[in-house]
Amino acid sequence: MLCLRNVRYSRDGRTILRSINMTFREGMSYSILGPNGAGKSTIARVLMGELKPTEGQVLLDGKDLTGLGVTERAKLGISMTWQEPARYEGIRIREYLTLGGKLKVDEDEIRDALELVGLPYELYVNRLIDKTLSGGERKRIELASLLLLKPRYAILDEPDSGLDITAGELIERLLDRFRKTGTTVILITHHEEIAGKTDFAYFVCAGRLVKKGFSREVVEYYRKTCGRCLFVEGSP
Amino acid sequence: MTIKVDRVKEYEALLDIYEREGLDTSLFGDRIAAIIISGEGIIGLNNVPGVEITGEEMENGVRADVRIADGVELPFPIHLCTGYLKSEGYQRVEFNIVVGKNSRVKFTSHCIFPYAKDFTHEAISRITVGENSSVLYDDEHVHGEGVRMISKTEVEVGKGGRYTGRFSLTKHRARKLKLEMTAKLADRAIAELTSKVKAVKDDSVEIREVLRLEGAHSRGDLKSTVIAFDEARVNVVNEAYGLGDYAKGHVECHEIVKGEADVQTVPLLRVRNDKAELTHEASIGRINEAQLVQLMAKGLTEEEAAELIIKGLLGE
Repeated sequence: MLCLRNVRYSRDGRTILRSINMTFREGMSYSILGPNGAGKSTIARVLMGELKPTEGQVLLDGKDLTGLGVTERAKLGISMTWQEPARYEGIRIREYLTLGGKLKVDEDEIRDALELVGLPYELYVNRLIDKTLSGGERKRIELASLLLLKPRYAILDEPDSGLDITAGELIERLLDRFRKTGTTVILITHHEEIAGKTDFAYFVCAGRLVKKGFSREVVEYYRKTCGRCLFVEGSP
Repeated sequence: MTIKVDRVKEYEALLDIYEREGLDTSLFGDRIAAIIISGEGIIGLNNVPGVEITGEEMENGVRADVRIADGVELPFPIHLCTGYLKSEGYQRVEFNIVVGKNSRVKFTSHCIFPYAKDFTHEAISRITVGENSSVLYDDEHVHGEGVRMISKTEVEVGKGGRYTGRFSLTKHRARKLKLEMTAKLADRAIAELTSKVKAVKDDSVEIREVLRLEGAHSRGDLKSTVIAFDEARVNVVNEAYGLGDYAKGHVECHEIVKGEADVQTVPLLRVRNDKAELTHEASIGRINEAQLVQLMAKGLTEEEAAELIIKGLLGE
């Protein structure tokens, strides 16, 4: 179980997250839903260890991870795709997906991962992961990378942004696959239809947790309020 | 291939080095136009139809002419191998390469100085690319610990011609490198000059790339990538001149610094035609944080992530 316990995060005198409490149980899928600037990506980066909370803890199976860096958390089974995936020069997609040969996967697994995210294996596996790829292609490669890693917790920051109209289907396929591999999905989005595809959802706004529950309930509430924070649950 | 009888041992030693370094030994085959230089001598020479290589030995080096006839398309590269197998000394090579019209050729140039401890190598190349011809020139290096290298290349690309020059010194020490590449472009000509260098310890690297977009609709790219570790000193100057109507140029310089290395980059973009356009992109400093973190989130340590990124940048 991965938890955020009373997490507060401030930068340059500005509070971005206020006493956030969240729990992500094994094998379930969660959305963190909210408008732009709500603090969703900051939550993701705190979970991954890229940002250190000003107060509070990140717990994995009751153990405090707060002092651990990104690599250590990844080795414990937490991994993430970013809203804006980086581009690399001179690295081919196969090399990237296998982390320069460090991740032992066979060619069929690479083919399967690429095709699940909608990228034909033959066309992509030897391409460079550089500026020649569109934002959507780059995003799909990032998702394929997580499919190959099979982490315990997959944090997907805005996986649908920059993708075409097939994004909804892609998210469904991903959730389905992650469900089969027992991976807990934490999906960051500001699209309620994407959030509605997960089991549970957290609605955050202005750095506060507004509502939590089954995703359909949270999405309904989000729609009613047009994403505005009218009600604060469980936060000061 | 004509091999000088009294220098067969040097020829074989070079072949051994190619094998050891993972270089393509088939470049020594009979179907490949080639000149093999060792020290101040030409130890091997081979011509194929459409390619005429002649050379003369001079004090401390070799002067060679390479003529490509009009309309030549070669399935194999032309091999220019310059070796120096002693540890000390001085070598100067001069290449004058003239490519006729409507030809497509590739050059693979290897500079092999594996045992150099106190050695100076000077390479002067003049390359003329004829109208509508295309030339790819790959320049790779195998250096010992003590090479001082001065390399000057001047390229003239004729109307509708294309030149791609790729210099790479990434697997061995740069020690003291002075690299100068100039390309002058006629109407609708295209040039791409790329240099990749890794500098370590107290290496000193100076790179100057110059693009003169003289012709109308000429296009060019200058791209240099330098990885500087330890106490290396690196100075990169990229100059682009937009002179012709609708000329378009792009200058890109990426330098990664680790340790106490001292790196500077100076872009000089000058336009003397209001229809020309030049752009510039540079990054200098540590490895991009986002690139590192996103690889670390997949379980790589910072060092492993940096290694993968650098390997990609240097095209290893």
